[in-house]
This record gives sequence, C-alpha cells and structure tokens, in this order.
Amino acid sequence: MLTEIQLWAIFNGTIVTLQIAIVAIVFGAVFGVVVALGRLSKNKVANALSWFYIWFFRGTPLLLQLFMIFYAIPIIYLDATGITFEINPMIAAFVAFSLNATAYLAEIIRAAIESIDGGQMEAAKALGMSYRQAMTKIIIPQTYKRLVAPLGNELIMLLKDTSLVSTIALFDLLRTTKTMASATGSWIYYIYAAAIYLFLTTIIQVVFDKMEKKLGIYER
Amino acid sequence: MSMVKLVNVRKSFGDLEVLKGVNLEVQQGEVVCIIGASGSGKSTMLRCLNHLERISDGEIYIEDVLSDKRANNKDQIKIDPVTVQSLCTDLGMVFQNFNLFPHLTVLDNVTIAPLIVKKEDKKVAETRALDLLSMVGLSQKKDEYPSRLSGGQQQRVAIARALAMDPKIMMFDEPTSALDPELVGEVLATMRQLAEKGMTMLIVTHEIGFAREVADRVIFMDGGVICEEGTPEEVLLNPKEERTKSFLNKIL
Ligand SMILES: Nc1ncnc2c1ncn2[C@@H]1O[C@H](COP(=O)(O)OP(=O)(O)OP(=O)(O)O)[C@@H](O)[C@H]1O
Ligand SMILES: [Mg+2]
Repeated sequence: MLTEIQLWAIFNGTIVTLQIAIVAIVFGAVFGVVVALGRLSKNKVANALSWFYIWFFRGTPLLLQLFMIFYAIPIIYLDATGITFEINPMIAAFVAFSLNATAYLAEIIRAAIESIDGGQMEAAKALGMSYRQAMTKIIIPQTYKRLVAPLGNELIMLLKDTSLVSTIALFDLLRTTKTMASATGSWIYYIYAAAIYLFLTTIIQVVFDKMEKKLGIYER
Repeated sequence: MSMVKLVNVRKSFGDLEVLKGVNLEVQQGEVVCIIGASGSGKSTMLRCLNHLERISDGEIYIEDVLSDKRANNKDQIKIDPVTVQSLCTDLGMVFQNFNLFPHLTVLDNVTIAPLIVKKEDKKVAETRALDLLSMVGLSQKKDEYPSRLSGGQQQRVAIARALAMDPKIMMFDEPTSALDPELVGEVLATMRQLAEKGMTMLIVTHEIGFAREVADRVIFMDGGVICEEGTPEEVLLNPKEERTKSFLNKIL
C-alpha cells in the first residue's frame, strides 16, 4: 500500500496536472473567442494575425512550445541583455498550455460561429444591432451548447498532455508515479495513475454532458 | 412625406447584375405589394433599403434623408454610421424564415433590440412588448422558446419583434411562404391589422388575393427592374405588360 508520503506526492502531482489543464482551458476559451473573431473578421490584419497564430500553435508540437518558453526565452533574454533569469516552470507550463489550447479552441469556436444560420445576423442587423452587439448577444450565446462537447474533449486532451511537463522539472501525476515505480520496482503505481486519470476524465465527461443538456433547453 | 425613395438603384453581385435601375417612391401610409418571379430582385431591393446589402449605384432616401448614394460600388457621400443606423431602424423587417432568436424566450425576442440598441428601460420595454404580443394574439406564449411555437406563431412574434423598435416602415419578404397553408391566414390577418393602423408597408408576396385586398399599389418586378406598377385592379386584373400577364397566368 501507499505510504503517507507517497499519498501526498501523488495528490500534489494530481493538483499540478489539474491546475495546468484548468488554467489552459479557461484561458484558451476566452482568448479562443478573440482569435476566432479575428479569423472571421474582414479586417485583413486581424485575420492574418489570427491565421498565423493558429497555424503556428497547431503546426508545432506542444513539447516544442513548452521548451521554447522554458528554455529558449531565458537564453534569448541573456543574449540580449546579459542578465540571467529563470522562468518558474509552473508559469511556463501555464503559458505554453494556454497558448496551445487557444489555437485549438479558436478553430472550434470559429466553426461553431459559422454553423449559426446567417439569418440570425441579418435579423439582428435589421433590428439595428451593431456587429459587436449581434455577436455578443445573439450569435455567440447560440454556440454555447455546440461548444460544450468539444470543450470537454479539449479538457481531457489537456489533462493527459500535462504529462509533458515532466520535461521541465515539474512533478505532475505521471512523473510522480513513474518515479515511485522506478524506485520500488513495482508496476502498481501505474495502475494508481491510470485510476486517477480515469476518475478525472470521467468526472469531466459527466459534468460536460450535464452542461450540454442544460444549455439545450431552448431546443424543444 | 415620402418614406422610401430609390433613384436609379443598381446592385450587382460580382458579374451578376440583380437590380438594373430601380426607381420607386413610397408615401407615408402606403401599402405596396411587390410581386415577381424568383430571382427578379425583390428581396435584394428590400435588403438594400436597410443596408443588409450595399447598392452598387444610385441613391436611397429614407424619410427624405439620403441614406445611401453610391456609384460603381463606391460611396458618394460620407456615410455617418449613427445616422444610417437610426434610418435603418425606422425600417422593420420580417423574413420568410422568421429568424427568431432561438435561445431567447418570446418576450426576450421582442425586448432585446429595444434594450440593447435603444437602451430602453427594462420595465418600459417589457410593458410595450406585452402590448405588442397581445396585439398579435400571443401574450400567453411570452415565456415559451420559439421552437415550441408553430410557424404562424413564430412569424407573428417576428412581427412584434420588428414593431418593438417603432419602425416607420415595415418590410415583409414573403412572410407566409414558409408556412403551412392553414397558418397563412393568421399572419395575413396581423398584417392587415397593421395596414389598417396606417403603417407604411412594403410586402413581397405571392398571395395575390391578399395583395388585391390590402395593397394601395402593386409592383411587378422582372429582370431587376420594375416592369409594371399601378393599383391592384390595374396590375393584377388588367395587366398591360406581356410579362406581367404571363407571370400572373403561371401563379394563378
Ligand atoms: N449574396 C448574394 N450573392 C450572389 N448572388 C446573390 C446574392 N443574393 C442574391 N443573389 C442573386 O440575385 C438574384 C436575385 O435574388 P433575390 O433574392 O433578390 O430574388 P427574389 O426576387 O427575391 O427571388 P425569390 O422569389 O426566389 O425570393 C438571384 O439570381 C440570386 O441568386
Ligand atoms: Mg426573395
């Protein structure tokens, strides 16, 4: 069985994993809307910037993005200013995962906005609403239900991908259990890890299913 | 007073010229029915009036104020967005597919534009919305979502929603075309009621009987121009133009 120290270590690893996933999904959802609106915008600059953003963050490995923020930025900073500084690995993880989630969610949000019938924007404009009012009061609220399921998927992906942070000196759930497994030579720790991942992903599944039903009340 | 005036209005989508020089003036309180074959530019004409589409050439006046003047797809006047917006809210629009906001209740559908566009007080907006809903006979449905209503009920809510902005002119684009035949009557009755109250109305419709009864003027559009216009008797019963005759023969 687990010692108390091991139990706490696993608990802390789980918290690290959860923190990164939750920060990334919240940040990603908010900024994903911004990037999605950029992609839908007629403004060429906004459109190009958001295209580039999505292109970069979806087109390169998350691990690479993590390395760039954690390892490359301090080196660039040192070369430029001669001052050494270190990035807190937790901050680096928050930033990398958030930026990455933003790119994926932006595409999901854009697709959801585009799936809303064009008559909705026309009706809103015919009533005198500005583009901004129509988007925030009419179009975007109708995407919520359609966004719940992909948002849940993304959260589950993020939760599993947090295991990448072991490469920047963070002890997430997987790394904690792996260390125990190597130290003791027992495989049981991997079972504990799997059980915790499954527990968390199941909760996410259930909560998001409930949310989807609740947001759909107006559809009959 | 002239409520709507189009002067030599042209509209192209790319190479396709849809409106080829439309001239039309509608007086206050006038009910104008617009008929014509599919693709003749009826919807486009209405949509140009409230800037859902921008015209390519010509001038548009709303209540004698210039609201758009363009040549070769370029603005000829400086368009002040505030003026244009207030002119466009003087035009209410009712769509073929209702386009109610599905995530809002009936009451919220009617109050949302007054609340966020006119920044009306919530109490005031709701009282007025309830009046409008009872006028269209739907006050008991105020808390339903649109998906729970029949097509005819949805269209009547859409009429109330447009009226909530106090438009001076109401435009209807085939308001009954998406309805089951037994639901057409209730929507036409609501429109008739509006006409009796003296609302200026522009109605694209295939309901010839309705046009005969309520229209002060009937316009037949063909190929992007107004081909014939006159009283319902003139246009619907004794058309002069061959194209009008053959169109009426086809739909009657
Ligand atoms: N946004 C658009 N882009 C390209 N072509 C368009 C667009 N809107 C309309 N058209 C074209 O313009 C022409 C006139 O369309 P419009 O909708 O005004 O006709 P209509 O008289 O209302 O016909 P209907 O009775 O079918 O509603 C059609 O050929 C249509 O395909
Ligand atoms: Mg049409």
